[in-house]
Amino acid sequence: MAEVSKASFRSVLALSVPVAMGYIPLGAVFGFLFVQAGAPWWLAMASSIIVYAGAAQFMMVPMLAAGLPVATIAIATLVVNLRHVFYGLSLLHKLPRSPWARGYLVFALTDETYSVLTTLPEHTPAAHRVAVAMLNQSWWLLGTLLGALIGAQAQVTLVGLDFALAALFAVLAVEQWRSAHSGRPIWVALLSYGVAHWLMPQQALLIAIGLSVLVAIALSTAGPQEGKP
Amino acid sequence: MIDTPYAIGVLLAMGAVTFGLRALPFLAARWLQHHPLVQRMGRFLPLAIMTLLLVHTLVGSARDNPHGPWAELAAAATAMTLQWAKRQPLLSILVGTALYVLLRNS
Repeated sequence: MAEVSKASFRSVLALSVPVAMGYIPLGAVFGFLFVQAGAPWWLAMASSIIVYAGAAQFMMVPMLAAGLPVATIAIATLVVNLRHVFYGLSLLHKLPRSPWARGYLVFALTDETYSVLTTLPEHTPAAHRVAVAMLNQSWWLLGTLLGALIGAQAQVTLVGLDFALAALFAVLAVEQWRSAHSGRPIWVALLSYGVAHWLMPQQALLIAIGLSVLVAIALSTAGPQEGKP
Repeated sequence: MIDTPYAIGVLLAMGAVTFGLRALPFLAARWLQHHPLVQRMGRFLPLAIMTLLLVHTLVGSARDNPHGPWAELAAAATAMTLQWAKRQPLLSILVGTALYVLLRNS
């Protein structure tokens, strides 16, 4: 029993290594940008402990710096993290019994942890599932800390370093595109943004998201065949 | 300087929303699994929202750039092409950002 357990824990560790390769540098970029935007290092850490959602944390930096209302940032978080609603569906029967372990796994269900958890074999012990999730979050925390410390030291800011955020969205868009059934969402998004920017440039993102959601509802109720694989 | 109580409020709100979203399927599993509209939206919205976030950040950068949107477009296209061909997020982000920093500071 102990040997089986040890072997499978090693495979859990192996699955966490690629996550570390992504989380440490990306977490560092987040910590760096947040501290450069005027936050103390511990607030960057608090964000990676409490929120723990990559894209939403990046999105939050300019919004916090601009002092947007809490409700606006909460709605933006809802939109950016909406995809997480669909992650739990494939893990419904793979959660541990203990309420704390259960709660933590649900809390820590990032894109990467989700993909690792869904690749683990069926008989993986609950403790190992929790371990891989905690390991992944500690990579993210380590990266955040490193980036925040570097950001606090760096005096000269290079113009354009915050383009990392745009590059991150570009990468995520490409990955969504790769797994999409049609290119229609792109055209709907571009058109919505054009209309929204023409109507109210200041609120373009929020209006464009609203328009896209409306079009998505209209398309899926009008044509039941729409979007079928 | 970012105001600390405000920032903590934002973090708590974001944490609550994120946790709520991640917990929802476990609470409403049956409804979500059987509602076709939810499933179709789930296929349509992620790509639309990522496109919007990308366009919005590019428009924001281009607004602060006196030399027009060419640097933004070139750097984004580079990151996307790299990602499409190599599937290495970190590489795509680093090269795209480095190219942009180079273009802006030259």
